[in-house]
Amino acid sequence: MYDNVIDKSKDITILELLDRVLTKGVILSGDIVISVADIDLVYLGVKLMLCSVETMEQLKMGNPVPKR
Amino acid sequence: MIYAILSVKKNPGKLDPLLAGIKGISGAGLYAVLVDKVAVAVCDINKVDLVADKSGAIEYASVIETLAQQYTLLPVRYGSVMESAGTIKKLLKRNYVEIQQNLKKVENKFEFGLKVFCDSEKLIAELKAESKETNEVEQKSGSEIQNSVFREYINKKLKEHRREEMMLSYVDSVIAELTEFLTHLNTVNKIKKMASPKNIIDAVFLLKKDKIEEMVQAIKDFQSKYPELNFILTGPWPPYNFVEFTIK
Repeated sequence: MYDNVIDKSKDITILELLDRVLTKGVILSGDIVISVADIDLVYLGVKLMLCSVETMEQLKMGNPVPKR
Repeated sequence: MIYAILSVKKNPGKLDPLLAGIKGISGAGLYAVLVDKVAVAVCDINKVDLVADKSGAIEYASVIETLAQQYTLLPVRYGSVMESAGTIKKLLKRNYVEIQQNLKKVENKFEFGLKVFCDSEKLIAELKAESKETNEVEQKSGSEIQNSVFREYINKKLKEHRREEMMLSYVDSVIAELTEFLTHLNTVNKIKKMASPKNIIDAVFLLKKDKIEEMVQAIKDFQSKYPELNFILTGPWPPYNFVEFTIK
């Protein structure tokens, strides 16, 4: 019943994490830095996620979550 | 490989044991390069092992997250490698003041991400229904378009413009109310509107670690005021979005 929650949570977490790890944070510049390019990544951790009340209610009732 | 820059003014003695218990990319051991009250968490890596892959990214993010539970830190962008500990020390000394300023800014704080989605077509229809005046203007425009392709084009563009204006005005009002709603949490906010037609608000908030529960509750409460919108809150994250400088 909660598979949708977990799947969506993973997807969102992956996007959020990639956005942060690859494009944010301190930048080291100069020729001493070797940057790793062509990155294809997946993050499997599950962080806290707050769905909308509506979505949670649908999940509680066993209904599939409508795709955005 | 460099993971993060940490403030070790509190619990300096705990850092080495903590790092000893964490494995870096490819299972490499972590250690600290220290300059006064600032440490850089690093691991040694061979150039041949410098491959960006899924497990590497997972391990990299996990290390930063583990360290962020114990120390105030500045996450370093993935893929940053330096030749030696000596080079890192030189850079730390050269950028020490700026590093300290940034560490102070994020001291004992975490980041939250908030994305607000909507069914833009449905929302526009609802906003139009609320705005009788707009409806009348559009009906008038609609009766004038039949004369030429040019007029049809202009009218189409006008309608698009009005839709955008209506949507922006709505998003501005939600953002104003949201920031007002979060005032008591003393968050530092970065808010982007209309990241896409459906993602109408893309925001990050920096707030004190002891305010996390209040933040979650505040967003839950705010969501209940806007049932037509979908709120997705993620976090707590290390302060990736609130670190804005380049080490040279």
